[in-house]
Amino acid sequence: MLERLYNLILFFKEYAVLTAFLVLSFILMAMNDNAQVKQMRTIATVGLGVLQHQLSFIPRYFRLSEENEILRRMNLQMADEVSRLREAKLQNLRLRESMGLNEVASSPVLAANVVSKNLTMLRNTLTLDIGTAAGVVETMPVVSPEGLVGIVVAASENYAIVNILLNTEFRASAKNQRSRIDGIVSSNGKDVFLKNVAISQDVQVGDPIITSNYSNMFPEGIRIGVVQSVDISPGSMVKRIKLTPGVDFVSLEEVFVVLRTPDPERHSLESRQRP
Amino acid sequence: MRRHLRSAAIVLVLVVIQATFIPLLGINGVIPDVLILWVVYNGIRRGQVEGVTGGFIVGLLQDLVTTQFFGLAALSKSIAGFLAGYFFNENKTALTLGTYRYLLIVGACSMANNLVYYVIFLLGAEPSGGLTAITLSLSTATYTVAVGSLLMFAFSRMRFA
Repeated sequence: MLERLYNLILFFKEYAVLTAFLVLSFILMAMNDNAQVKQMRTIATVGLGVLQHQLSFIPRYFRLSEENEILRRMNLQMADEVSRLREAKLQNLRLRESMGLNEVASSPVLAANVVSKNLTMLRNTLTLDIGTAAGVVETMPVVSPEGLVGIVVAASENYAIVNILLNTEFRASAKNQRSRIDGIVSSNGKDVFLKNVAISQDVQVGDPIITSNYSNMFPEGIRIGVVQSVDISPGSMVKRIKLTPGVDFVSLEEVFVVLRTPDPERHSLESRQRP
Repeated sequence: MRRHLRSAAIVLVLVVIQATFIPLLGINGVIPDVLILWVVYNGIRRGQVEGVTGGFIVGLLQDLVTTQFFGLAALSKSIAGFLAGYFFNENKTALTLGTYRYLLIVGACSMANNLVYYVIFLLGAEPSGGLTAITLSLSTATYTVAVGSLLMFAFSRMRFA
């Protein structure tokens, strides 16, 4: 090995000697302390920096596998964070819209999350994540920025069950906001109807329907939906008015419980008068 | 051994001449470099290894005398000696030294020596250092070639072993 090296040096002896003397000259020059040496040091530092930068990919190549693993994990974390941030943004938008609702409702409202849905023709209920501990009791109306959702029918300490608009047991006094005619909103489990509207009364497709001031259960003026179709069955004295609910129950996630119960005196009097 | 002693003596004399008498021959601040004449001669006669070694030693002595930038002349003359040794040919020494070829080699090696010297010497010294270095290198090389022509005539009458 050494012999080979020696032979190699011997073969290039002229260059070896030149290199040795050049190195020696530079060493002697470096011993000076003048502006030229400082300038040369600066040039050497900059040149070395550029060379290092150009060749930095070499050690990086050997760490590619490790780097990929780190990047994959970071990507996953960021994707999760983006998803959560998107969700927070949407929730923010929904809550901002809901803040407008506070100005309309005359009673205080309590925000709640829908933790469970039962959207079948037989049940059509929601479960909320607030209950009696937060002040929620039966008969309290439930609304959303899009309109009337339903009514609380049962409440435990931390949860409440709501009969929604599509529930067959749900009833609400309603009014055509345009023509001011009154009716009763109810559902067959699938569609929502405005009932008890005489055929002579003015109802048109697209008319907004709101809760009326006749209701003891719901505050006045809460949007229920819009008239989707108006039919008259032969021999019938009333119109068959189908509504499109304002609320999309499939995508519903946040609601507000209106902290309002029916006037007890009126409720008691009306109950006694019912057959 | 005798050869080396003779060379050492010549070099010492030339260094003294360069430092004391040559500046008197200056034209507009430009002086010839008689040391390079010996370096080139040594390189042509003895080859690259001896040319580099001779150039380094001459340059070192010149640095000791001038005390300006120690090591710089050693660097530039090493390069010049190496270049001169490139033209080494045992059979054509007389032909190279005694003809215009010697002047061409002196011009090239002097130019290389001066460029290296002045470029480094003028580093950061002035904004137009590059141009000054080239100007000085050219003028010094020209003057050195002119003085070298006298040596060429002397060589043409000599025999080289």
